[in-house]
Amino acid sequence: MSPNPTSQTIQNPKPANEPQVKGPEMNDRDRVNDILALEKYLTDSFNISAREASHSYLHQDIMTILNETHQCQYELFELMFRKGHYKLEAEQQQTLDQAYQQFNGYSTQFPYQTQTLQ
Amino acid sequence: MQQVQTPQPQNAVMPVPPQVITVKDSNYLKDQLSWELLAMKKCRHFAQECTDPEIVQMIDKAGQMHQRHYMLLLKHLQNNNTEEMKKVPQPQQ
Repeated sequence: MSPNPTSQTIQNPKPANEPQVKGPEMNDRDRVNDILALEKYLTDSFNISAREASHSYLHQDIMTILNETHQCQYELFELMFRKGHYKLEAEQQQTLDQAYQQFNGYSTQFPYQTQTLQ
Repeated sequence: MQQVQTPQPQNAVMPVPPQVITVKDSNYLKDQLSWELLAMKKCRHFAQECTDPEIVQMIDKAGQMHQRHYMLLLKHLQNNNTEEMKKVPQPQQ
């Protein structure tokens, strides 16, 4: 976990009020994490409900709920990121370039005529 | 809701599903309402326990969203299925 000179880590500092030694009791981070998990579960469930709905008004309302639940889930993630609860890792440039080359090459397999990527 | 219904001949083809809550819709609605109710309660409970005001606000915002969603879903259980079914052509016996 030692920071190396070419660090690929993306993380905010942790909040000062976070307990250093955590006990069995729920803290703020546990609670917001649990709500995040709840929203994730709901997006899955509402996705299934949306595709099973019969008439269009019902379908529209469920799609609205699905979309707003996704937005809520992402806002919770953003909050947690801001509070330093998420560590992200940037991909190596070389790996990214290789993958681009590989998948750009597959454009010869496209079944439809399109303008080629530059 | 805003559909203007004309009497259907017995062999009419329905272009879209009628505004009827099916058995499947009803079962899903009951499930969804239960999820939303639990979600709003959980958010309020957790928000009360949190110390960081930003976290409190975000969790309460989520809880209020679930309460709105509950009302949005609930109105579909007030559907007049009896009236809507009268407009649906029945298959010939």
